Amino acid sequence: MKLPLKWLKEYVDFNVTLDEFVELMMWRGFEIAEITDEMPGISNVVVGRIEKIEQHPNAEKLKVCSVNIGKGDNLCLITGAPNVFEGALVPVALDGATLTGGIVIHPTVMRGVESCGMLCSGEELGITDADYPGASVYGILILQGEHPLGQPIQEAVGLNDVVFDIELTPNRADCISIIGMCREAAAALGQKFKEPVIKQVLGEGDARDYATVQVLDGELCPRYIGRVVKDIRIAPSPAWMQKKLRSVGMRPINNIVDITNYVMIEYGQPMHAFDFACITDGHIIVRRGKEDEIVKTLDGKARKVSPNVLLIADPARGVGIAGVMGGENSEITENTKTVFFESAVFKGSNIRHTTRELHHVTDAAARYIKGVEPVNTKLAIDRAIELVAELDAGTIVGGNIDVCAADLTERVINVDWNHVNRILNTEISPEDMVKMLDTINIGAVVDGKNLVVTIPHYRVDIESSIESDWDIAEEIARVYGYYNIEPTMMTGDTFRGRLSPETRHEDEIKDMCVSMGCYEMYNYNFTGPAALSALGITEDDEKYLAVKLMNPFGEDQSLMRTTLMAGMLNSVALNCNRKTGHGRFFEVGNVHIDNNDDLPEERKILGIIFTGADESFFTLKGVIEYLLRKLGIGERAEFLPGGSGFFQPGQKAVIKVDGQVIGEMGTVHPDTRKAFGVPQAAYAAELSMKKLFELRENGKTYKAIPKYPTVPRDIAVVVDEKMTSAQVAKVIKDAPVKVLLENVELFDVYRGTGIPEGKKSMAYSYTVRAEDRTLTDEDITEAMNTIIRVLKEKLDADLRA
Amino acid sequence: MKETLEKIRLQTLEGLKNAEDEAAIDLINATVFGRNGSLTEILKGMSKLRKDERAELGQAANAVKKELEKLLNERRAEIVAKMQELRFEQEAIDVTEPGKISMPEGHLHPMTQTYRDIRDALVGMGFTTYEGPEVEYDDYNFTKLNLPLDHPARDMQDTFYVNDRVVLRTHTSPLEARALLNLKPPFRLIMPGRVFRVDEVDASHSPVFMQMEGFVVDRNITLADLKGTLQTFIHAVFGEDVKMRFRPSYFPFTEPSAEVDVSCTLCGGKGCRLCKGTGWLEILGSGVTNPHELENCGLDPKEWNAFAFGLGVDRIASLKYGITDIRLEYENDARFLKQF
Repeated sequence: MKLPLKWLKEYVDFNVTLDEFVELMMWRGFEIAEITDEMPGISNVVVGRIEKIEQHPNAEKLKVCSVNIGKGDNLCLITGAPNVFEGALVPVALDGATLTGGIVIHPTVMRGVESCGMLCSGEELGITDADYPGASVYGILILQGEHPLGQPIQEAVGLNDVVFDIELTPNRADCISIIGMCREAAAALGQKFKEPVIKQVLGEGDARDYATVQVLDGELCPRYIGRVVKDIRIAPSPAWMQKKLRSVGMRPINNIVDITNYVMIEYGQPMHAFDFACITDGHIIVRRGKEDEIVKTLDGKARKVSPNVLLIADPARGVGIAGVMGGENSEITENTKTVFFESAVFKGSNIRHTTRELHHVTDAAARYIKGVEPVNTKLAIDRAIELVAELDAGTIVGGNIDVCAADLTERVINVDWNHVNRILNTEISPEDMVKMLDTINIGAVVDGKNLVVTIPHYRVDIESSIESDWDIAEEIARVYGYYNIEPTMMTGDTFRGRLSPETRHEDEIKDMCVSMGCYEMYNYNFTGPAALSALGITEDDEKYLAVKLMNPFGEDQSLMRTTLMAGMLNSVALNCNRKTGHGRFFEVGNVHIDNNDDLPEERKILGIIFTGADESFFTLKGVIEYLLRKLGIGERAEFLPGGSGFFQPGQKAVIKVDGQVIGEMGTVHPDTRKAFGVPQAAYAAELSMKKLFELRENGKTYKAIPKYPTVPRDIAVVVDEKMTSAQVAKVIKDAPVKVLLENVELFDVYRGTGIPEGKKSMAYSYTVRAEDRTLTDEDITEAMNTIIRVLKEKLDADLRA
Repeated sequence: MKETLEKIRLQTLEGLKNAEDEAAIDLINATVFGRNGSLTEILKGMSKLRKDERAELGQAANAVKKELEKLLNERRAEIVAKMQELRFEQEAIDVTEPGKISMPEGHLHPMTQTYRDIRDALVGMGFTTYEGPEVEYDDYNFTKLNLPLDHPARDMQDTFYVNDRVVLRTHTSPLEARALLNLKPPFRLIMPGRVFRVDEVDASHSPVFMQMEGFVVDRNITLADLKGTLQTFIHAVFGEDVKMRFRPSYFPFTEPSAEVDVSCTLCGGKGCRLCKGTGWLEILGSGVTNPHELENCGLDPKEWNAFAFGLGVDRIASLKYGITDIRLEYENDARFLKQF
């Protein structure tokens, strides 16, 4: 919302600095995002009079001007412009002046003569004829009329205003208007708001003899007011109106159109002017569109509407889309003789639908969406008629056509003033509350425990509902000052603050990954069909069941990820390409599987990815085993061949704990990593955070440290090449030995000399001990022999010679 | 005999003087004090002497023995020390060479670290973590929070839709609805999570970012409690010197609402590029929970009241670490990540 300071001053005495104003408004909930000058970037440019012009001694096209700026000696300024003359008042950029485009002026010597500044053109000052007559002329800007010498140029051309750009919160629809904003500014400044008084222009005749209005849907159009003006005299609007429109960023068109725009800016009420001659039978019908009905709007576009869209029509056709844009067929032209002014309320939610259906939002529509109220509707049309009279733009026909289904009675609410104090933790007396509310034009009287509050018609944000006490509390707080609210600590029950067990679990897992040299990644949750296909995910895979967005940025971000792989591979590719020199990363994030329920299944996943010369399937597996051991489930975990298609066959494993799948890992399939631009081998894993949480060991119990010595032994057996380490280890672990057999671990695999083709040697270490005694040699040998026997029986494994 | 004793003494002294290593000392030890050592022989020969001679010579021999033993031990210690010194000299290393590591150090993402800082400050104030889904019902994300369909404030948050009833949550506030519907008040919750908005990516916008919400439901909650809680919290996160500004604003789910600024973390409030010259940084939105929301979630706003505040963890991380481009936080360049 743009608020020019000069416009503000018409309604309020402004007696503070700009910075103070920004601060005062901030404490009322109005953030001033920017203050712009009407001539941005121009400084140190003043009015000077050319006293004398001489030919430059060394340059035919240059003139040396002696310029009086009202103080000191005359300045010597050189110009090549043809239009200067002695006695002309011109803009003089002094030493250090800044001009459009950030140009800074300093004295310069031109062909042996020093120019101590510069005479400026309109273009150099960033203005055109629209801002000041003659500003577009090629040459120096010649000022019109009399001006004191040395006067800042901004004042001389009348562009010395500043404009506040105020960020409005969506509840204050009333403030998207000069009047509404000035009303709040007056309260913030502690000044009286000079309420404008609209002069009622009665006119001659009766509009009802010209036009009739029929509203077919009172819910979508609670109030429709029309006025007729005849003998229209289309002309440019006066300079003051044009200047004000420009100051808020609107382009002047002609007096009639400008009046509608001006009233919208001033009162916040969108208005429309129809060429009355184009309204068939002078009969306006407010109705819903018909299926596939076409309305050609002011911008020349033919728009197809539906019954969801409210139209302004005559008996023959649509003449405008209600609340959005007028129709081309009834547009104001130079030949318009009679005008029908419309000021109406349309339901915001319906206008919102319309803008979505038509993919078109106008300034008017945006105001309807935020809320337009029926009392203001009448004020606005009265103001428009007053302006028609003031501008002498036509002859006013008497009488309003007013079709009103809206309730215009004042809203009165009861507010529990004790409750207001309880919400704010204040002790404001009800009498003081009444005074505070009065400063923001809210009438209130004390009635025992209640304040009886009359809500101004424009404050549509204040509800007559359970919310009333809170609404008024907020108003009181704004006036009382949020800075006056003394901070307190909460009382009542004491709470034991803690991290939920799931949060602690996540913290621990992340810290473990960090301790294993991984950097934590954050990848976006979006993915696309191409990424799924690059991962080799096909229809029969549940990872294919991605949640699809209705309004994505693009195809490649149209799905919610079902795996962390794509993001991890993209990030690893980036690191490889940039040669960042690090190859261990992890991410904890959610994936979603669309299982046809209302909400998709959300799974929190730990993803780990390794790449680099020192990494292998087994460095990654080592880290995963470390994690599992730290979680107390290392012993219970199994890695079984298998896994997703984005892993290389033969180098992938499904990870199970107690028979439940907790995740998978593997060497990334070369085709997959190439598709993501990863130039070297990569190894990745995805583990379910939930499964890890459910299966992890919680609460530990001390077990006695062995009293008797533990004896380590090694054994190497020759087995078939197809045999897995896990199979051999399981047989050893389950061997029916009479002592405690522990710590069975593979430490070497050997193929080659001495080992038959198709076989391999696997060497395991293990320990034996007894709870109650030191083992004898017989015990140890018996255990070893038993192990050898079962390996032979179950796996046909021979002891390595 | 006396002469022999003196000769042994002098020979031994000479020998010790010339000894270069422990082996030489050992040799002297054997030749002098050994079983057949020269001094041992003399002592053994004592018995053959006359009584008077024995006394005199015995005394002298013992004195020599004592002296030589002492000198030998001293010389031995000297040589051991010298040898060790020599060895240390040979074994000296270049201590400026880099150390060996078996594991490169890992790093938590700056967002995680910031989130933990913020969260831990609140845990200290009696808050507990509470999480919920990223793909959420429109009803929880908007309607229950006093943002019915067609509420103009819905435009404040451009929403990704899955279908007309399901959205990607635009804020962590749907967790308020979930908590109100599922937990028994009173409670104090920290609700973190990723949120989604239709925002094109640039230096300060990201369609995915992390939010964290604080939510307190109790019987006598006031706007002043909110202000006090935020003040304590802000001092815990940003330091005691930081000033807080608590100013009016609007959110559909709170009434009264407040926006909170902190004095600029870069310039301390004097005004700089980071704070756009204002001296203040906007860091969170907050307010007393709107009674409609409590009512929509089955709580009587006459009995219970609540407050909430929400902040962008990305933004706080950016401010805390001076990260000028939010895109860096989702790019995962190792050279970025390793700085935290």
